[in-house]
This record gives sequence, C-alpha cells and structure tokens, in this order.
Amino acid sequence: MSGGPAVRVSIESSCERQVQEVSLDGVETYVPPLSMSQNLAKLAQRIDFGHGSDSDEEDPSRESRESDWSKQEPEEDGKFQVSLRKLIHYKIYSSSGPMKFQPCLWPWDSVRNHLRSALTEMCVLHDVLSVVKEKKYMALDPVSQDPSVAKTPQVFQLISKKKSLATAAQLLLKGAEKLSKSVTESQEQRRQRDFNAELLHLRSQWKLRKVGDKILGDLSYRSAGSLFTHHGTFEVIKNTDIDLDKKIPDDYCPLNVQIPSDLEGSAYIKVSIQKQAPDIGDLGTVNLLRRQPKARPGTVLIHFLISAQNVLLCKEIFAQLSREAVQIKSHIPHIVVKNQIISQPFPGLQLSISLCHSTVEKKNQRTSPDKAKPDDHLYVLEHNLHQLIREFHKQTLSSSVMPHPASAPFGPKRLRLAGPMAYDKAEISCLQHGEGLLEKIVKQAKHIFLRSRTARTIDCLASRIEDPQIQAHWSNINDVYESSVKVLITSQGYEQICKSIQLQLNIGVEQIRVVHRDGRVITLSHQEQELQDFLLSQMSQHQVHAVQQLAKVMGWHVLSFSNHVGLGAVESIGNASAITVASPNGEYAVSVRNGPESGCKVLVQFPRCQTKDLPKSDVLQDGKWSHLRGPYKEVHWSRMEGRNFVYKMELLMAALTPCP
Amino acid sequence: MEAPPVTVMPVTGGTINMMEYLLQGSVLDQSLDSLLHRLRGLCDNMEPESFADHELVYLLKGQQGNPFILRARRSLAHPTAPWHLRYLGQPEVGDKSRHALVRNCVDVAASHSLPDFLNEMGFRMDHEFVAKGHIFRKGALKMVVSKLSRVLVPGNTDNTEPLSLSYLVELSVLAPAGQDTVSEDMRSFAEQLKPLVHLEKIDPKRLM
Amino acid sequence: MGVTCVCQVPVAEGKSVQQTVDQLHKKLEQLGAVKQGSFFVDCETYHATGNASGQPSKLLYVMHNSETPLSCMALFEGGPYLTADANFDVLMVKLKSHFQNAKGHKVESRGARYRYCDFLVKVGTVTMSSSARGISVEVEYCACVVPGDCWNLMKEFMQSFLGSNVPEIPSVFTSKPEGLFAPADCMDTMSQYLELFSKVRKQQVLPGSSVR
Repeated sequence: MSGGPAVRVSIESSCERQVQEVSLDGVETYVPPLSMSQNLAKLAQRIDFGHGSDSDEEDPSRESRESDWSKQEPEEDGKFQVSLRKLIHYKIYSSSGPMKFQPCLWPWDSVRNHLRSALTEMCVLHDVLSVVKEKKYMALDPVSQDPSVAKTPQVFQLISKKKSLATAAQLLLKGAEKLSKSVTESQEQRRQRDFNAELLHLRSQWKLRKVGDKILGDLSYRSAGSLFTHHGTFEVIKNTDIDLDKKIPDDYCPLNVQIPSDLEGSAYIKVSIQKQAPDIGDLGTVNLLRRQPKARPGTVLIHFLISAQNVLLCKEIFAQLSREAVQIKSHIPHIVVKNQIISQPFPGLQLSISLCHSTVEKKNQRTSPDKAKPDDHLYVLEHNLHQLIREFHKQTLSSSVMPHPASAPFGPKRLRLAGPMAYDKAEISCLQHGEGLLEKIVKQAKHIFLRSRTARTIDCLASRIEDPQIQAHWSNINDVYESSVKVLITSQGYEQICKSIQLQLNIGVEQIRVVHRDGRVITLSHQEQELQDFLLSQMSQHQVHAVQQLAKVMGWHVLSFSNHVGLGAVESIGNASAITVASPNGEYAVSVRNGPESGCKVLVQFPRCQTKDLPKSDVLQDGKWSHLRGPYKEVHWSRMEGRNFVYKMELLMAALTPCP
Repeated sequence: MEAPPVTVMPVTGGTINMMEYLLQGSVLDQSLDSLLHRLRGLCDNMEPESFADHELVYLLKGQQGNPFILRARRSLAHPTAPWHLRYLGQPEVGDKSRHALVRNCVDVAASHSLPDFLNEMGFRMDHEFVAKGHIFRKGALKMVVSKLSRVLVPGNTDNTEPLSLSYLVELSVLAPAGQDTVSEDMRSFAEQLKPLVHLEKIDPKRLM
Repeated sequence: MGVTCVCQVPVAEGKSVQQTVDQLHKKLEQLGAVKQGSFFVDCETYHATGNASGQPSKLLYVMHNSETPLSCMALFEGGPYLTADANFDVLMVKLKSHFQNAKGHKVESRGARYRYCDFLVKVGTVTMSSSARGISVEVEYCACVVPGDCWNLMKEFMQSFLGSNVPEIPSVFTSKPEGLFAPADCMDTMSQYLELFSKVRKQQVLPGSSVR
C-alpha cells in the first residue's frame, strides 16, 4: 500500500459500553460498565422463571436490536467507514434470512449477540480492507471536513450517505458479476484454443485439408505411391459433447476423428503353410481374431489413426494379392475365397494368406475354440509382405518422374530411353513388368518351407544315426530366396583324421544344390526323401573314407578303393562303397564293404600259411606259394569291441599288425 | 492418358495424330514464389522439380511454302538423357468454344547425334535459347514455369542473358485428336491460378 | 547386344532361295541350335525433294529391327546415324513434302532366329518389292561387345555352318578410329544390313524366286 494515497482509516473497537449521551460535538458519554455482580443481577432479572423454554418473547430481541441500532447511530458522525460497515452489517443481517433473531430464552444470548456482532464487524472490516486493497473498484479519499456539511442535519446526511453507498455497492456487485462472467468465458476460450492446438498437432502428422465446412484427413498411402482405390479419408470433428459446467475429464480431447467404418479395428495379414488341404468348406473362415484389439483404440487419437492406416495397408496388400492370384496363370490355380488366398507351392502343401480384420464389436463374440488351434502364423512372411508392398509403392513413385528435357512427354523414364538407346527385347520386357507380390511371396514361402524341412531332415538323421555323426552349421546371413548350411560327417573321436565329407547345401526356392568339398555339384529337388537318401549314402561313404584315412595313419596300404561298387547286392539308395587295405608287412588284408542299406561287412584275409584247413593243391607244392594270400573270413562286426565303426577298425588293424 | 502408348509394332510405329493443348502466360520475377507456392498446393504430390534445358530451333527451307520447323531440346541437368525432337503443327483454326490452343505435335526421343543428323538432313539452326525453371504435374496436365535466356555465344550454354524480367508459364496436355474435354480441365486449372497468372490462348502467328 | 556380323550367302547352285535357306536351317539344327521365333529388318529409302543449295542430296534410310522393337534407326550412308523412338516414323510422314519415300526401294529381310549358346543366328530372305533377292545371315556373339576380342571365335563358328562363305571382318569395325576394340552397338549391325541391302538392290532379280 506504499504507493497508494495516504488514507486515514480509523479502526474502532466494537462498542462495549452503552452510550449514555452524545454531545453535539460528537463526544459520547458511556454508561459505566456494570460490575460483575450488577451484571449477573441484570441477567438474572431477564430470566423468566415462570415460563417454559418455549415461551415466545419478542422483547429481548427487539430490545437488543434496538440497542444495537441505538448504540450505532451515534457513530454516524461523518466517518464514512462506519456507515459502510453498518450498511454491510445491515445487509448481512437482512440477507441471512433464516438468521432472524430468535426470541431469546438463553441468558447468554446477549453475550452471544455481542460476539456475533464483533465477528461481523471484523468480517466487514476485512472485506473493506480487501476491497480497498483492490484499487480497481474503489479508492479511499479523505472525507472533507466541510463545516457546512457538518451542519446539515444528521438524518439527512445519513440518508444521502446511504444512497451513495448503495450505488457503490451496486457497482461492486456489477463488477463481481462481470468478473465471474469473464472467468467462464476464458475457460471456454481455452477450450477453443485447445482445439486449435490439437488440430495443429494433428496436422503435423497427418494430411488435413478443409473441404467446405469439414476438415478431412488422408489416411491413404497415395502420396507414397500407392495405387489403391480406397479413398482413406477421415473427418476431424470438434468434440462438443462435454458439459461446460462439469469438471473436464483427464482424457478429454477437443478433437475427435471419424474414420470410414471399414477401417475400424485392427487388421493383419496372416500367412501360414499347412500340410493338408482342409475341406473346401473350411475355406475363407480362417480364425479371424487371434490378436486382441488394443485396449481401447480411441484413447489416443494418433494410435487410432495409425491402426486405421494399418488396416488400409493390409487391405491394399490383400487386394493386390488377390488381383494377382486371379491374373497369374499357374498350373495349379490360386484360389481366392472371401478373405483367403490359397496357393500350392509344393504338392500336398498349401500356402494360405488371409486378411484378418477384427473390429471392436466382434471382440465380444469371440469364441474360445479358435485359440486351441496352433499358431502357424509366419511372421517373417507377413513382414516381408509389408516390405514388398512398400517397395511396390516406391516403384510407382520413382517410375513417374518428371521428363528431362521438360518439353518431353510424361512417361516412365526408362521407357523413354528404350527408343534412343535401342533396347532389345529382353531389356524391354524386364522394364515392363517385374514379378508380382504374390509370385514373390510364394517363392519366399517355398524357400522358408524348404529350409525348415531341410533342417528337420538333418536333425532327424543326426538323432537317429549315432555313427557316423552328422553336424550342421547354418549360416546366419541369408537371402529371402537362398540360405546355406554346411554339413559335416565325422566319427566321434576321429574328427581330425576323418573329415572327408563336407557338404555345402545351398537351399534355394525349388531345389537344393549340394556342393562337395571337391567341387562336385549335385542338385536335389524339393522332395524330402532325396535329401535323406543322399545324406545316408554320404554317411555310408564316409565310413569307407574313414578306413582309408585310418590306414594311412596306421601304416597300412590301400589296395583298392571304390566309392561305387558294381558288385554284390544292389542297394536301394545309392551304391555301396568298398576298400581293401593290407597290413604293413602284407600278411593280412582287410576288406570293407559298406552300403547305405546293407550296412557294413568286414572281411579279413589271412596268409595262406596260417590256414591249416586249406586243401592241399597239386599245383602249389612249393614252399614259396605259402606266401600267397589265403581265404577271406568275415568278422562278426557286431561282436567287435569298440564304440564306433572307426574305433573297431582301429582295434582290428592293431590286432592284425604284428608287434615289432 | 499418362504417356503416349508405345506400340511394340515397329514398322511405322509411333503414335499418330497427337495434339498439344496449350495455354500460356507470364509472371514477373517478383511473383514467381507465390505462383510456385500455389502450384505446389494444386499439383500432384511430388517434390517440385527444376530443370535446365537447351533448345535449338531448326529450319528446313523448301523450294516453296513455309520452312519446316523442328525443335531439338536437351537437358543440361541430365546430360545422358536422350534429346527431345519436337515438331509442332500450325494451330487449329477457329472453334471459339475451345479454351486452349490446339496444334499437332510429334515427340521423338533421339540419340545424341541429333544435331549432326539434322544438319545432314538439310536443317539449319535458326536460334537457340536456354530455359530454366520448374515443372509440375497434375494428372495429364503439365505445368512448366521457365525463364528463357538467350545464348550469347553460339553453343555455349554457360554464357547466357535473360530475355526478360518475367517467367514464361505454360500449361499443356498431350492428347489424341478430338479429346476436347481436356481443354475444359485446363481452363478450370487456369482459373485456380487466376490472380497470380492469367493463362490464355495465344496464337504464335499473331505475335510474329 | 554383342558383336554382330552380317553377311550375304549366295544361293546354292541349282537351288532356289528357299531351298538354300532350308539347308542352312538344317545345318544349324544339326549343330544343336534352337529355333527361337523369327526376326525381320527393314529399310525405307527417302530422298530430299528440293534442296536450295543445289548439291546432290544424299539418301536417307530409315530402318527397323525386330530385335529393338521400340527403336527406329535413321542413317545416311557413311554417317551420321540417329537412333530414335518409333515416333520418328510419324515425323517422316510430316516431312513428306521435303523427303519423299521411294516406295519401290523398300527392302526387308525376314526369317528364323536361332540360338546356339551365346550365339544368335538369324537366317533371312532378303526381299525387295515382294521378290526374293538373296539370303542374309546375321551372327551375333552376345557375350562380348569388343569385336577384336571375339572375331576369331565368331569366324570359327560361322565356318561350321557356312563353310567357305565366311566373310571377312566387317568394315564397320575396322574403319572406326578407335580400331577393333571400340564397343559395338546396334548401329554397326544396321549399317552392315544397309550395306547388304544396297548390294542386293543393285543386283539382278533372281530368276524364278518369287517369295511364297
């Protein structure tokens, strides 16, 4: 208040003593206060012992009221504050209707009344001070002590003051009213501002434009190169269904969007490969609602729009796929039923691509049996489909570039080059149409299937056959159409010496190319049996190779070796292989024949001299002939000691080698 | 009607009887930006592309009649792009109902030996200029805003001088003969550019 | 597009054009070549009607090749050459007051197209105003674009079915300023055809050889 005008404010204590007389110069003479005993006697006098508690007696209240008035009247001595106080006092008393003075039966009523009046005074004083402090509405001016005014009759003065105060009060009330109005108005404005701010925010992420009196947004991927015909527009609406008087809920958003009903909910493309073709009646009723829709799509506007856009993209992918499925002529036609496309990549196998679109309403009618089905969804292919459609979009964008020079007609740039650069047929045909989405995804599915089946075949063999061992090293880096695996066939404990068989399997789309360590290439078809047979024959060959390697280490001599033996029983898979090795001193020879199906057969040839039961020949009488090789005897291989074939062979060789 | 359909039938192939529908106007350099802004809003959703071309106008004088005019254009910004050889016929007469100038047009994309070849054919270069500017597209409509500069030293496209203080604005469509509805589209498009540039049907003969 | 050699094969003694062509086909098939569709090359001749300068005008040839279906080749004998798109034909129609088409001079070669590994062989009957005038054989080695690197290989291959009719290395390759090691392009092929066609044009009409 330092900056304000110096205003004298007189503060008076509430009148505790009764005024006896007011002299003309305004000096009040008070009745001397009653002593305790007098007071008690006075109060006791008031008690009407003859009456019950209910007796109605107006007098004390009137009396107290009159006394109130009487004691205050003398104060109206030109001091403005007091009149104001009184006025407000009066107002409070008159306005607080139910607080009429009740006939007082209570002896301490006057005490209470005094206390109340003291409180009122204090409140009024407080109000006055606060009003004065807010200089907007009222300023205090020292009241001119005009002697002429002082001379006017007090009653008249009082009335005039009352009047002016009444207008002042009216002014105050009006101001208060305006204030409260402006508060509500600013609230409304804030809401409006929120709307604009939200709209701006939305505009930074979505394409909006004003059409007529509507605000329309664009969900489509057209600007990214999509050619899908769905208009994909949403409408932005101002959210007005909120009560202004109520408290605004926390998640209140002044914007609302309305999207086309067919884009509501969530959608995805389900890609799966199944073994058996289901009944034709089952088609198109694929489990629609595996994924739970988001908690509440409307909670966050942006998420809502994103999911709608996703639905649109899924629809576009599906539309493109089904269009291609109908157009492409393959020997096994693709089937398009309702929301499903079925294609046969390999015989007995079907690739199904379905559009699963779930809306919020449907969620409630979800049935549990759907859940029992195994989840055979191939996420990789779903992801690749999305990638492919974006690539497709990019292609359409990049193909419609502006002509250079500018005068040239519009058209694909590369087609413009075809004439002057004299492109030949092959170049032109590769410009004109690439592979479609469906063809690509079918190829990818084939590859994925082939890869997983190859892995299974190898794993099966590895777990079924312990000797020799088979190891597969899968390459981490692969293409969508090609991946590779390195297959090693070894014998346990002899990994260092027996590594003849190393195969590189390049798994493609339709076939598997096997590259041997020596560079031979074998192409296998997609049939599982082919790979299995091939690996079995390789394992059988491995054993014979191992014997060869072992002989080298043991100092034995290889007499003959053949990967494909033309003699003996015919194997159903591949050919048997055989090896004959001779001991270092040439006395013994071991012959091994190993077939993928017939298993191994080991024969030992003894020197002629050791065999007693050999019939004496008439021709071979001479002693030198005893060094000729003798007959073969089969080794009971299963009875041999040793944990695997190569170990057994090592033992056998060791047994046949004479100690030095 | 994106590009002239290319027939894969070689003997006398090509697209016969294509027409160019044309509206022209100009803007002062100062108001170029606002025009480009407007065009970005109106045209297809592509980044506006600028270009720099060199155009050579060739004449072949016969024994009688008017000389035969061919326009050969190459892109300075894309030197490997093929040359564009263009024949423009006389504007079709009359028909007040049409909103655009209509003339016969043959567009040929050619290899870089074009200038030598035209010389060998007997054509002589009449004049040359450099056009730099921006190109927009809305469906089949082509909108070219370009600054024309004269080439001071023949053949040297680095040494140029602007012809005027304004930009040439051309709205054109290529369509087979008889598709007069395109002129209606052009008119409504031109209408939307109205305060910025007035595109009109200008007969080049009148100016000569 | 690789290195191409075009040559004319004389009609065998006592045989018609068609019989000689059939014989060539048979030889190629025996070699292991596979027939892959057909081909044609045509050539129109234009001459300038009036020319102001008065000097003798050169002939303008406009050619098409089924191997490059979207292109149109325009040549002057000895150059320059122009490759353009098919609209060049339309332009020539517009230019008819200045360049007249010599209708009777249209020459074309049509026939079968054979593939043998990297070689593409086209055996065509050259016709002029619907009468057969000779046989053209085009051999393309697709795996190389430098004539100097593969000419001997091509020559050997041609010997296997043409015998003694193997041509010398085409002059288009030798006459280039960069020599034999400049990459070949479609124009080299077309100028060889043009040379062959002008030879044929000057030739006498073969007796009794109207085509089909």
